[in-house]
Amino acid sequence: MSTESKPTTGSRSLSPVIIVVSFVLLIGFLYLIGQGLRRAYAGPIAIGQKVPAFELTTFEGAVIRTADWQGKVIVVNFWASWCKPCEQEAADLEQAWQRYRPGGEVLFLGVDYVDTEPEARAFIEKFGLTYPNGPDLRTKISQMFRIQGVPETYIIDRGGRLAFVKKGPTTLNEITGVIDQLLAQAP
Amino acid sequence: MVAEIGFGALIVAFVVSIYGIVAGIYGARRHAEPWLESGRRAMLLTWPLITLAVLCLVALLVGGHYEVQYVYNVTSSFMPLYLKVTALWGGQAGSLVFWSWLMAAFASAVTLRKWDRDREFLPWVIVVTLVTLAFFLGLVIFVENPFVRFWQMPDGRQAVAMFAPRGALPLVPMEGRGLNPLLRHPGMILHPPMLYLGFVSFVIPYAFGIAALVTGRTDDRWIRITRRWTLVAWLFLSLGLILGSRWAYDVLGWGGYWGWDPVEIAAFMPWLSGTAFLHSVMIQEKRGLFKRWNMILIILTYALVIFGTFLTRSGVLSSVHAFAQSAIGPLFFGFIAITFLGSLGLLLYRWNDLRSEGVMTSLLSREALFLLNNLLFMGVLVVCFWGVIYPLISEIITGQKVTVGPSYYERSTGPLFAALLLLMGIAPLSAWGHSTLKTLGRALWKPLVASVVIVVGLWVGGIRAWSALLAFWLVALVSLVTLYEYYRAVVARHRRTGENYLRALWNLAGRNRRRYGGYIIHLGVVLMALGIIGIELFQTETQGTVQPGGSLRLGNYTMLFQRLDVFDTQDGRNVARAVVSVFKGDRYVGELHPRRDFFYDSQQTMTIPGVRSTMEDDFYVLLVDWQSSAQGITFKVYHNPLVNWLWVGGLVFILGTLVAAWPDREAEPTRARATQSLAAQRVRP
Repeated sequence: MSTESKPTTGSRSLSPVIIVVSFVLLIGFLYLIGQGLRRAYAGPIAIGQKVPAFELTTFEGAVIRTADWQGKVIVVNFWASWCKPCEQEAADLEQAWQRYRPGGEVLFLGVDYVDTEPEARAFIEKFGLTYPNGPDLRTKISQMFRIQGVPETYIIDRGGRLAFVKKGPTTLNEITGVIDQLLAQAP
Repeated sequence: MVAEIGFGALIVAFVVSIYGIVAGIYGARRHAEPWLESGRRAMLLTWPLITLAVLCLVALLVGGHYEVQYVYNVTSSFMPLYLKVTALWGGQAGSLVFWSWLMAAFASAVTLRKWDRDREFLPWVIVVTLVTLAFFLGLVIFVENPFVRFWQMPDGRQAVAMFAPRGALPLVPMEGRGLNPLLRHPGMILHPPMLYLGFVSFVIPYAFGIAALVTGRTDDRWIRITRRWTLVAWLFLSLGLILGSRWAYDVLGWGGYWGWDPVEIAAFMPWLSGTAFLHSVMIQEKRGLFKRWNMILIILTYALVIFGTFLTRSGVLSSVHAFAQSAIGPLFFGFIAITFLGSLGLLLYRWNDLRSEGVMTSLLSREALFLLNNLLFMGVLVVCFWGVIYPLISEIITGQKVTVGPSYYERSTGPLFAALLLLMGIAPLSAWGHSTLKTLGRALWKPLVASVVIVVGLWVGGIRAWSALLAFWLVALVSLVTLYEYYRAVVARHRRTGENYLRALWNLAGRNRRRYGGYIIHLGVVLMALGIIGIELFQTETQGTVQPGGSLRLGNYTMLFQRLDVFDTQDGRNVARAVVSVFKGDRYVGELHPRRDFFYDSQQTMTIPGVRSTMEDDFYVLLVDWQSSAQGITFKVYHNPLVNWLWVGGLVFILGTLVAAWPDREAEPTRARATQSLAAQRVRP
């Protein structure tokens, strides 16, 4: 690098302002994608963390707001009609719902992830699901939980904090075990 | 054993790359020829090593070694052999190996050339290409290793590791998960390799650009050496984009070819800056202008290649193309930060050496119009870039990820594309140095009049939408100008040499391949534009539920639903296939079979349209819903006028690029340059 000859005539030198501005712009851009990356890698809401309030519009058109269920236990299950393991757990979820429904202390929400409506309705009918189920419009809820796939089940305690996460199909014993424990806690 | 060999080959290739980088830098600083030669050989060695790793992986894929996690994830025993081989790029880890392999092939090819005249570039070309290669190899080795295997731990847990953990036993699943059915399409099998080839071959001109910056040899030598590389890169990138569109049209089942998805745009952005680069380097070669701009463009193109790869693979943006989220994001981010900042620093350091040698003399000269072309391409690029990063900005400011839709892109790029078309019509007629309105007008008026006549004809024929008339006028103008240029040149050559017209045409293209290849490319673009106008402005669609014997009408077409067959196939699919008869007016024109395949192994469905395709239009039928058969079967039907011109144009486009990139004799350009600079000297006082 020491051997090259520098041109000497009429050299307009580059204004320091331009240098600073170009680096600032580039660093701003890097900051931007860095932030995006950080968020993408932030991972799911951790256990013990507050779960932000959200709402689900069911296939029947009802709007369920988790904010209206403060002090109760909320079970959020992500599923899809095209997902085989979801079929495994569907009956168990319904059975659990039937158990807690009369008490009114537990809310079950079925969030249908990336699906088509006729297939989803057929799925609900096939397994006789009676708890509120609705599509995850614009995948807002699944983005909030940063789910990795379906099925996934999240249980929120009376204090609105995440208490339990299951990736993959769950079972009746598993969720009732968790829910009973959470119900025993004071709100 | 095969997995160990493959992994070992990757590690050796990685170490060799690092060595090559060190040897290159040391050799350049000390002017130590043996070190340089050693670095060059290190670079040549990477390709055979990675080839070995690729062969090992392919052997595992073909052999159905499901104990290897990657093989388990992307293949199943149902798949035919060619799909098992192409599953090499069906997942994140494998495609990174494949990318490295292509990168090494290009790097080796460039090292094989004769370096006698350009010896000072060699070390820096080695350093830049090997840094890129080592980065990708590092990702493969440390984060996304395709050779890791399943193990059964003594305590019953499962583990995934390259080598057996203490006391673990190999775990061999009976069956793999299989390739995503959407990817089992010829267009999709070729689309990723073409894009990768385009991406990696842009690394070469970038490496020469950086070498020019580092050495301070800022004449146009680096551009001349890499001219063909750039064209080849651009050819593959174009092919990749066209194949991707075709795949979307055939497979995705929304009757479209381009959805302005972030990842599509990520591949489109380097194409835009690359296209601008291809045009503007000609100005530097002919007139010595725009040195800085060309350097910016090539750095930008490389940056966009890396950025696009990052977007696709890091999970920062959600898209139909995204790979499963993986840990490569932060590493990629580091690489982006280092290369972008380094390139910018180097560019600013050499800024003053990159002064133009000439001045622009006329606003209508070829170079001025090329500059305008560059600005328009940059305009499209800015629109795309803003659309892609907007969700990130909105997330920082409002906490919500807001995505911009196709209408944003269509509205903002539409006028820019129209202006580009117009420019394509005018620019070939202007001369280097200076043109005036008079000279330009003399060349332009005949095609202009003819194109207006065509538009009047279309208006009389019943087309009233002004946007369509404007678009057709542009298309007509550009085609006529291009053909007229050919005609004038052929006639002139015929008069001068006495060759017959066909021979004159052939020799003409042979003499100045870049120019006449470029014109063919322009014609291809125009034909593609015709297809795009057809589908964007004249597409109609309808949806309806019909019983067997029922029919749906769309425009002049009627489709009659005959029956539905549901059956299983040998390769693990359940197929629901409708038989529909299509009538145009009252005339029977054929039978279509829209269908839906359900893949048992991956539990996924795939909708395959039935298409009646002619140069006039496509009649495109989709089977939307067939399970609730009590009410009948739901079909979605599209009428896509002119869409086939898009694919025909694509072929012409590729042909033109081949003509332009075809090697000609080395001596020619130097002579042309010599006579030109002589002429320039004579003009100057």
